[in-house]
Amino acid sequence: MTTTDAQHNNLSMSDNYLNHTKGIKSWLFTLDHKRIGIMYLICILTAFLLGGLFAMLIRFHLLTPEGALLTQDQYNQAFTVHGAIMVFLVIIPAVPAALGNFVLPIMLGAKDVAFPKLNLFSWYLWVFGLVFFLISLASGGLDTGWTFYTPYSIDKASSMGGVIPALIGAFILGFSSIFTGMNFIVTIHRLRPQGMTWFKMPLFLWATYATAIIQVLATPVVGITLLLLIVERAFGIGIFDPALGGDPVLYQHFFWFYSHPAVYIMILPAMGIVSELIAVHSHRHIFGYKFIAYSSIAIAMFGFLVWGHHMFTAGQSQLVNIIFSLITFSVSIPSAVKVFNWLATLYKGSITLNTSMLYGLSFIFIFGIGGLTGLYCATLATDVHLHDSYFIVAHFHYVMMGSALIGFIGGIHHWWPKMTGKMFSELWGRIACALVFVGFNVTFFTQFMMGSRGMPRRYATYAPEFQIYNIVSTIGSVVLAIGFFVIAIYLIHSIFKGKKAPANPWGGRSLEWQCSSPPPWDNFAEQPEVGDCYDFSVLEWNEEEQGYDWRKDAVHPGE
Amino acid sequence: MISIFTNILLATATPVDNGNFWLPRAASTTAGGVDLTFNVITWICYFFFALIVGLMVVFCIKYRRKSPDMVCAGPTHNTALELTWTIIPLLLVVVIFTVGMRGYLNLREAPEGCYEVQVTGQKWSWTFDHPEYGATQVAELTVPVGKPVRLLMTSNDVLHSVWIPDFRVKMDVIPGRYTSLWFEATAVGEYALNCTEYCGKDHSKMLATVHVIPADEFAATMTKLANEYEDMSVGQLPAYAINRLYNRCASCHSLDGSLSTGPTFKGLWDRVKSGQVKFTNGESLSGLIGDATEYGEPENYIRESLLNPQKHIVQGYLGSMPSFQGQLKEKQITAIIEMFKHLRDVTDANGNITVNPDGTPTE
Repeated sequence: MTTTDAQHNNLSMSDNYLNHTKGIKSWLFTLDHKRIGIMYLICILTAFLLGGLFAMLIRFHLLTPEGALLTQDQYNQAFTVHGAIMVFLVIIPAVPAALGNFVLPIMLGAKDVAFPKLNLFSWYLWVFGLVFFLISLASGGLDTGWTFYTPYSIDKASSMGGVIPALIGAFILGFSSIFTGMNFIVTIHRLRPQGMTWFKMPLFLWATYATAIIQVLATPVVGITLLLLIVERAFGIGIFDPALGGDPVLYQHFFWFYSHPAVYIMILPAMGIVSELIAVHSHRHIFGYKFIAYSSIAIAMFGFLVWGHHMFTAGQSQLVNIIFSLITFSVSIPSAVKVFNWLATLYKGSITLNTSMLYGLSFIFIFGIGGLTGLYCATLATDVHLHDSYFIVAHFHYVMMGSALIGFIGGIHHWWPKMTGKMFSELWGRIACALVFVGFNVTFFTQFMMGSRGMPRRYATYAPEFQIYNIVSTIGSVVLAIGFFVIAIYLIHSIFKGKKAPANPWGGRSLEWQCSSPPPWDNFAEQPEVGDCYDFSVLEWNEEEQGYDWRKDAVHPGE
Repeated sequence: MISIFTNILLATATPVDNGNFWLPRAASTTAGGVDLTFNVITWICYFFFALIVGLMVVFCIKYRRKSPDMVCAGPTHNTALELTWTIIPLLLVVVIFTVGMRGYLNLREAPEGCYEVQVTGQKWSWTFDHPEYGATQVAELTVPVGKPVRLLMTSNDVLHSVWIPDFRVKMDVIPGRYTSLWFEATAVGEYALNCTEYCGKDHSKMLATVHVIPADEFAATMTKLANEYEDMSVGQLPAYAINRLYNRCASCHSLDGSLSTGPTFKGLWDRVKSGQVKFTNGESLSGLIGDATEYGEPENYIRESLLNPQKHIVQGYLGSMPSFQGQLKEKQITAIIEMFKHLRDVTDANGNITVNPDGTPTE
């Protein structure tokens, strides 16, 4: 803090967090939340590319019923590594660690998160986690599925040799997640500016806060579980191994006690982003603020009580299944409330269909399908048929990829001018969004039919009747991949050739739009004062800057 | 050409129940309840999805931004509306839950007097024991139509799961405990049974076929199945083993010499007889067979490989073979050994099986 204060005096207009200090060391040892956010973003997108390559291997392999590309063992590795990378290294940290780190302190008008060193440490933990996953691949591979189900994962004779490094990797990544969550909880509690009461926070912060609670409460459980699994595999102590008197289903309970709430770690921050996207790009006060805020907390709370629905066919008692089914439905209500409030926000808005907004609308469409198909999975009679089929694969891709990642990508576009100070190509942005939207739905909608008609998941070979669905799905995945590459190209292009971004290109009202793009090193010279972050009537369009300014006659809270 | 046309004609003439857009054909007494639940949810989903996307599209067209300074002053909250869209979905999910729970209880509560089959999952095959008849089936399960059948299941190694999509039933198969499921098939025919809990390398090949046959033929079929090998002469055993027992080995041992999880059966007997098998501990089989050795007769080595496969692991393989102790009767072990000795007589050069169960050549 002392260095930033000292340098504060010679701030010039062009001085920002990107050029304030130079050299690789100034990044690797930075305590600046914005730089850490950018480092997270680069790493997570790299991991996303890696996980995506494995996804394409899977899709091309499944072009023919007997498998077109890989051996059985290679296929099993491909879906395991795809799942593990996407869950642990990409979707869980994506929004909180990358976008949250960048945006959250600025939204609070703060100079940084509460514990900047812990923040940097959590980034290093992420990198260590990645290293252990790579070690796992190098030391015999990983073929347990990302869920590490026992007793397969503790059977050294049948599962591949990379299980323990992968478990260590997931354990370390868990701590990275816990530290980020702790940091955000403390930051939101302690560093809110004067005037920003809980119900004046942007909804993204509510979502991040709810997420952080899950991260801090649930992740330790999976940490302990993974440790037990390591000890079990290494020394055979007999917790999960039925041959030693252990219980393999106990592992599933431990695992899902974390991993079901983890689904909400993925989706809640994306919902927070969508609340921002919908409000800002329709210049309309968010509808039902308190209901959206409370629904985030409700989802986080209910999310802890529904893990048993992953074991409807694992031999649980009927009563337990009925109870878990009932509680599972409770999650659908706050989710529905959010969707209806977003729709009501669009009503009588001033809607611009720019790239970020298109992602926001795509989210509503895709989450609509992902959420509604959750009803089949919560219902006992239908879940027995659908469990572990491609229907489930389609359902969780609609939620985790189609919703969580689409929200993430929408957020990247929304805050891209803020992060880089450059505008990306709107035309290419819209084209890519269309490709991603169409590609995604073609890829995964077919998988609903495939699954409910009888194709089990994790199959390297399949009955010929499912080939047509698999071919369509693979074609969709190619379109989807092209969409992602187009995004990568125009975003990278914009860094070098993009137009300079104004401070407030979309007319956002939360505090991050009140500092320059990119933000100065310490965000705000003085703590800004806070108004209603969804009151857009105080802004007016400035043609010269191609951005929004304060309306001359508006009362400016702050300066 | 003519045969192709007749085939097409036959295919179109016989009404094949392919189910509907979402679900495969329904062939058990409980499937109707599941499908009803599925359809109720589907219509609710169609309605809400149309509502959500419809409103979204209408609003996006109607309220498009006309100028960057357009100020909009719609309502920011409405408690009555919030309660409406909280309570209506709440009531609907209670309905869905109740319908689903009732269907589930039907699925789980096996009626009195079920015909019992014991199921053993083992990487990567299914064994079905019929205690009533003393018959054992591998990768095939024969059951009577119109009679409730209960599967009592356990696993010898890792988790598996039985799924028969056309019956809408599924249950995990867990080592160290029993789980069960029941069904009553409503139509004679053949139905796919899949393993649907990931169990390692050949998970996707851990399949079985459920043969639903007329109830009055069932007893005779099972009795024949139970005793078919007991009355066989040695000359009939190779054909029996390749048709009835080999499917248990097929996921790991090829007949045509191709590489797989375990050594190929092609030329196996010659390698064993001459002792040309090397083990991972450096020993070779030639020192273990012959007079006054561990095995004596080479047949004993094969016997041990079936019952105690971890004792000697062939070089280049991981030793993932499970033990078949207690699962094979003496005469079946003999049949397998005879199969090895006569493998050339029952397969062609490409490893295709060329005999029928009764020993006659296939077409």
